[in-house]
Amino acid sequence: MTATVAHLRTRAQEEAGRFPALLARAEHLAGTVLLGEHGRRRSGLGDDFWQYRPLQAGDSYRSIDWRRSARGDEQFVREREWQIAQSVQIWVDPGASMRFSSHKNLPTKADRARLVALAASILLIRGGERVGLTGWRLPPRRGDLQTLRLAEMFAEDGEDDYAAPEARGMLPNAKALFVSDFLSDVEPVEAALTKAADRGVRGVLLQVLDPSEEAFPFDGRTIFESVNKTMRHETLKAGDLRETYLQRLAERKARLDAICRVTGWQHFTHHTDQTAQSALLWVYRALDGSQG
Amino acid sequence: MTLFGLIGFTTPWLLLGLLALPILWIILRAVPPAPIRRMFPGVVLLLGLKDEEQVTDRTPWWLLLLRMLAVAAVIIGLAGPVLNPDNDGEVAGDAPLLVVMDASWASAADWRGRMIALDGLLAEAGRDTRPVALMRLTDPTPVQFLSADVLRTRLSGIQPEPWQPDAESTERAIGFLPETRFDTYWMSDALDREGRTPLLAALEAKGRVTVFEAPRTLYALEPAQVSEGNLLITARRLREGGATELTLAGHGKDPAGNPAVLTRNTLSFEAGMLETTTEIALPAELRARIERFEIEGTRSAGAVTLPDDSLRRREVALIAGSTDREGLELLSPLHYLQKALVPTADLLDGALLDILPANPDVIILADVATLSAAEEDAVLEWLDKGGMLLRFAGPRLAASDISRDREDPLMPVRLRAGGRTVGGAMSWGEPKSLAPFPAESPFFGLAVPSDVTVNSQVMAQPDPTLAARVAAQLSDGTPLVTRKAVGQGQIVLFHVTANAEWSTLPLSGLFVQMLERLAVSSAAAQPEIEDMEGTVWQPIRVLDAFGRPREAGTLPGVDGPALIEAPLGPDLRPGVYQGEDRSLARNVVTADTELTPMVWPERIPVQGITRPQEKPLAGWLLAGAIALLLADVIASLMLSGRLRGAVSAGVVLAALILAPQDGQAQTAEERAAIAATSEVVLAYVITGDDTVDDLSLAGLRGLSETMYFRTSVEPNTPVGVNLETDELAFYPMIYWPITASQPTPSREAYAKLNTYLRTGGMIVFDTRDADIAGFGAATPEGRKLQQLAAPLDIPPLEPVPEDHVLTRTFYLLQDFPGRYVGREVWVEAAPPDAELIEGMPFRDLNDNVTPVVIGGNDWASAWAMDDRGNPLVPLGSGFTGERQREIAYRFGVNLVMHVLTGNYKSDQVHVPALLDRLGQ
Repeated sequence: MTATVAHLRTRAQEEAGRFPALLARAEHLAGTVLLGEHGRRRSGLGDDFWQYRPLQAGDSYRSIDWRRSARGDEQFVREREWQIAQSVQIWVDPGASMRFSSHKNLPTKADRARLVALAASILLIRGGERVGLTGWRLPPRRGDLQTLRLAEMFAEDGEDDYAAPEARGMLPNAKALFVSDFLSDVEPVEAALTKAADRGVRGVLLQVLDPSEEAFPFDGRTIFESVNKTMRHETLKAGDLRETYLQRLAERKARLDAICRVTGWQHFTHHTDQTAQSALLWVYRALDGSQG
Repeated sequence: MTLFGLIGFTTPWLLLGLLALPILWIILRAVPPAPIRRMFPGVVLLLGLKDEEQVTDRTPWWLLLLRMLAVAAVIIGLAGPVLNPDNDGEVAGDAPLLVVMDASWASAADWRGRMIALDGLLAEAGRDTRPVALMRLTDPTPVQFLSADVLRTRLSGIQPEPWQPDAESTERAIGFLPETRFDTYWMSDALDREGRTPLLAALEAKGRVTVFEAPRTLYALEPAQVSEGNLLITARRLREGGATELTLAGHGKDPAGNPAVLTRNTLSFEAGMLETTTEIALPAELRARIERFEIEGTRSAGAVTLPDDSLRRREVALIAGSTDREGLELLSPLHYLQKALVPTADLLDGALLDILPANPDVIILADVATLSAAEEDAVLEWLDKGGMLLRFAGPRLAASDISRDREDPLMPVRLRAGGRTVGGAMSWGEPKSLAPFPAESPFFGLAVPSDVTVNSQVMAQPDPTLAARVAAQLSDGTPLVTRKAVGQGQIVLFHVTANAEWSTLPLSGLFVQMLERLAVSSAAAQPEIEDMEGTVWQPIRVLDAFGRPREAGTLPGVDGPALIEAPLGPDLRPGVYQGEDRSLARNVVTADTELTPMVWPERIPVQGITRPQEKPLAGWLLAGAIALLLADVIASLMLSGRLRGAVSAGVVLAALILAPQDGQAQTAEERAAIAATSEVVLAYVITGDDTVDDLSLAGLRGLSETMYFRTSVEPNTPVGVNLETDELAFYPMIYWPITASQPTPSREAYAKLNTYLRTGGMIVFDTRDADIAGFGAATPEGRKLQQLAAPLDIPPLEPVPEDHVLTRTFYLLQDFPGRYVGREVWVEAAPPDAELIEGMPFRDLNDNVTPVVIGGNDWASAWAMDDRGNPLVPLGSGFTGERQREIAYRFGVNLVMHVLTGNYKSDQVHVPALLDRLGQ
């Protein structure tokens, strides 16, 4: 387990190492007053020096910067830039359906999803954000230790074939990243996103699909089974189902897009035969807000 | 066997299985292909979908057809189909079957085919339980009907004979025919000959006759003939046909005694022609070795011809006593002999002891008086083995004391001193003419022309044995030609010269006839019957019907007349027969042999050997069924969607197999080694000083160019060697300019250098300081050289002595200038015991190449050339400078020659001594 976790973290760090530090756009920060490195271009609570200003009435003596004031006769107060940090909450689909790859040279969807999610976490943490999981298990925190905790949490597999998004414990006005194949029922997703939108949480949906799920390259008499074998469908001529399937998949994507539009989220489909970086790049930009 | 046109079946009832095919069709059609289980998370999206087409659970019709075809092929294949089944209605019958075979040499060519046909016939007869008898016309035996199976076991013992049935043997065969009725199967060799018709009539009287005859044409070789020194061989064929090319091979033993094909020629028949002649030009040596000619690829005694003595040209060695009269052709003792012998014999020329190993038939000594003891022994030994020594008298013989007091072993008679001259200006009497030849003389019967006169001759000493040894005499009874037998050979002496000085005999036609009679020039014709009376000829090699030579072994001898006249038969097999003094060949086919195809009457059915062969088809059908089933596997996989992986795997596998295998890349080191060793490459030591290194390269390039232009040494571009890393053994000579600053090589490099020096390499050390260094003056380079050379394994040195081989390996030199002329050049010292021998121009010095040459004349600068061949460094002034450069080049050439040829030029000094030791 430790080896797997360490391995996942190493690879995630490799992926994250190729990006500049991510500074997520700060928006509506009112409720979140924890210090971060997002300068507000005005004086406030923070670490970085902003300006000296003459002592005014009402300033406490403790606020006088004695080193600066000693140079002259006036007393100066050292003002700092007002900084905030943002919370990003991540959900990675732990369902069995994610543990699938159509070819031995392709990673499973779960592997790719965790990798991208953790890489994004590292980038965010490096950029000073606080990253955690949705739900109550791992609230957003900073620091390398959090990266390790995230990696451990990501490595856990779920029992069911399809898992519903965890929308509880969302911090108001935080950001969220949901990674899944979104093949299961779309209602929970819609519910989760609506709930998030209600709390002012914006986020992104990263849909990870296997190329075979996108192309449906099957023919002949076939019995299709889910990964846990809880669901099955038999057909005598799989080739004939292709069009219907593709149509349904397109509908699903369109539905997700529609939900996102309503809630102010963003949706992106990533295939496991593409590079993980393309997904990470999109996540980076989406969370940065440059596409939003 | 059931027949359907061309195809028959061994077990036709199995074909009923085909009726089951429609049932199979229905069963197969109803069974859909098995489903594949696939893991697919997207299954949620599929839930609730219905298959549009409900009939696809049945196997598609084309797949069914494929399977039906496969099953049908299996059923038909198991039924044992046979193409062109053997079904000879003609021979079938109940009466006993007599197989008559010509079994002559003409049937040997396709004997295998005949045996196969006969085997099939016997098998057929065995099935019909007909008794069968076999009769070979070449060796008829009483007819005895046997069970066909018994006869089949004896088939391998039935062989053709190398002759053909004649009228007499056919007569006997008719006598052996049984009284009862029988059918006949006649395996004919397609040749027409007498006796066929009566036999056919006799056979037809007893029953049906079927003839079996190969439609192939038959090739035959006539005996070789000699025409203008070349061999003429005529080949014939039985039937006209298109243009054909055959290969004529002459077999014999090579000088090592192994059988070999000594010559190959083409025989090309033009379309419509029955015979062709080829001309073979062969050296006499090869011609004498040829034991048989044969048409390659034809196994028949008719396609083999054996040459006998008539083909051989005798080898005659001509040796004259005086060869100093250059230019006077007509006076040459050998001139007339050469003229007489050239058309019919091969002349050898050379020293007696050199010629004897070639074992000539005749040695002619024209006016040779004495032979050395060694030569005499060798000639006597050669005479013992059947050689013939023909001697002519002459002034030297007359003046010598040979055979004067006692008979010389190489002279037939004793000679009186001086000889005699008659009819000359200073003598009495008339020139003598020849007396008619006595009956016991080999020349008996030759007409004596009256214009042959003898002026001078050597006289035989009267002797009790003389009369018996005279072969020709003059009209006054003095011997002109005497002879005596030595061992198996003989010595013949003409008492006159071989030119026209002493007699006119060499000018006459009689001279040539006499030489012929003596078998000196032998164009041996076929002997006459009369000559053969009473002689017995022993067979040496005989041919079997297939044309294979066999040792004659214990075959009895043959009477002479029979050998010439009798037809071939059991008592006279084709082969080579040895008589007293010559050999004769009897060949199967001669110029008189008639090759006419037999024309059978219309009523006789004639079968050919080339009828389409029975061909079982079961294997093909079963293989086809397997191929169909394989196709079915692929098609089924394709239908059920499982083919993707299999196809990609197959493609990958094929690509892997077809991918070109990269050969192992040569390393740069290996390439350099190959470049350095494939040609001569001069090398210089890289000193680290760029100027010096460039000059060394230019200098060696100039030297290489010079070598290229002036000598047969053609060096490649010189290379610089790093003593630490490079292999030195590739370079014959290394030029090592000394700079004061160059690094001292490592211990490993010194080990390498010492190995190089010990194994014949040469290093030229050049201190390049001859302009300032004089006797006793030490320069930095000189000191550096001492330091560098100290660990080297260098022998004692001395300045180049005047007689050192370096002074004459290519040019004769005495000084060795480079850019500077001056200091001495040091080489390996001569051994202390080297002394100048009287009469020798130089001493016998070291045997090896001097390992080092040490000097300071800056040779590289003198040799240096740019790319266009212009000198790089000015040398002296004007012509003197050019001369100096020229000498410098010459020194360089000598250096390279010395290192490449060693002391070869030194060895020349021994040539007189070596020749003397050889006794020349």
